[in-house]
Amino acid sequence: MDEVLQAAQSLPVWIFAAIVVAIVIFQAIIFLIVSVKTAPEIGMSSEETKRAFRTGVISSLGPSFGIAIVIISLITILGAPFTLMRIGIIGSAPTELTAAGVGANAFGTELGADGFNLQAFTTVVWTMCLGGTGWLIFAALFTKSLGNTQTKVVKKNPKIMVIISTAAMLGAFAYLASQQMVQGYSHAIAAIVSGLSMMALLTFANKKGIKWLSEWALGIALIIGMTIGHFTTLF
Amino acid sequence: MSVRKEVESTGVDEEQSSSMETFHDKSHFWGRLTLWMVVVASLLPPLYFSFILDAHPGWGAIIGGLIGYASFIGIMWFLEPITFYPTLGRSGTYLAFLTGNIANMCLPCSASAQESVGAEPGSRKAEIAGTLGITAASLVNILVIIAVVFSGSYIIMILPEPVEQALNLILPAIYGGVLGQFALKKPLYGLIAITLGMAILFAPIYSLIKIVLCVVSTVAVCLYLEKLKESKARHE
Repeated sequence: MDEVLQAAQSLPVWIFAAIVVAIVIFQAIIFLIVSVKTAPEIGMSSEETKRAFRTGVISSLGPSFGIAIVIISLITILGAPFTLMRIGIIGSAPTELTAAGVGANAFGTELGADGFNLQAFTTVVWTMCLGGTGWLIFAALFTKSLGNTQTKVVKKNPKIMVIISTAAMLGAFAYLASQQMVQGYSHAIAAIVSGLSMMALLTFANKKGIKWLSEWALGIALIIGMTIGHFTTLF
Repeated sequence: MSVRKEVESTGVDEEQSSSMETFHDKSHFWGRLTLWMVVVASLLPPLYFSFILDAHPGWGAIIGGLIGYASFIGIMWFLEPITFYPTLGRSGTYLAFLTGNIANMCLPCSASAQESVGAEPGSRKAEIAGTLGITAASLVNILVIIAVVFSGSYIIMILPEPVEQALNLILPAIYGGVLGQFALKKPLYGLIAITLGMAILFAPIYSLIKIVLCVVSTVAVCLYLEKLKESKARHE
């Protein structure tokens, strides 16, 4: 196991991780530049552009710390640079953990077992790295065709995309929220309280025209939902 | 006067369409380039472990691992990009599928950014605002991850115990919050979605495709309702 972690934390692996992280940052900056350039051309003021970006920053803080907490369990198995590389790109902690288990099984051992040598770890690395490219390859190949289909549909009926977008979002989040709510009492309370807070905050912000409140709405709703959900675990 | 106004507004619309076309072209170019770059970069670690560190486990084990991986989640390689495309759009898909954490971070941030500028979902403004929201999330997320990895989990350890426990509830809070935001706009759609979501959750179906099923059926029911409304309005 020592041999494994030593190799997994060696300099070349740090360099591979740095390359991936650099590409992620590079991509975000490129899209930021392109969006900022396009915004005024479609009638978005520079104030709105800033507000949209700022809202993204505020709203992502909660989720990012949620992700950070699960990273800890991965670091002990995969080592720091590899965790950085896997979580920095597509793949969530549970997926990567299962993938690591599947890879170890394919070599005939288990994670953390005595037989988990460098070759077993290499099998895990192959499984996770190649398996994770599935999404990247599909998105790279087919996003353009999906876009062309969208253009065709919108040409026929310009209003239809509004209905499809809203319904798709509701469908996805209704399922995800249901799945969480059945996990237990405090999960259900957290979801319901957060949902109701969001409705109240946005209604209030829109009625009174308080723009900063709609930027903070998701962040505040998360805190209220988590706090009240957590209180229910104390009794 | 009214004719002229109409001509003017279509002129603006055309201008905006061509701006969006340029935006889409650029999204495809940079999106594809960065995605392929990461695909290539993903090959480096396994090749390094196999052939430089000489720890090659044999192709049999590797193929076995991949088959195991594909059978546990491979179907999502295709289904996820299709399911999330209608809400992410072109640029959002490239961003979200590179940075990951789509449902628990990218989509909520995209939706809040759209809400903060009052953009209607599916509109041009929504596409740009959503993209800005996701780029912000992608940057914040990578910085937080770097900080946690380099501090050797110190950042997590200094969190007070109750905060750490409350963070266990972050997922239901995120999903509930986003659901609330959209249900506020379309309460009827929201009711349909949550009914379908609960029904599908408890239905004896292969669990990975349940979310796709919920998205597709919600979209189908909502489109059908709109059609009914339209034909009713026409009859009156």
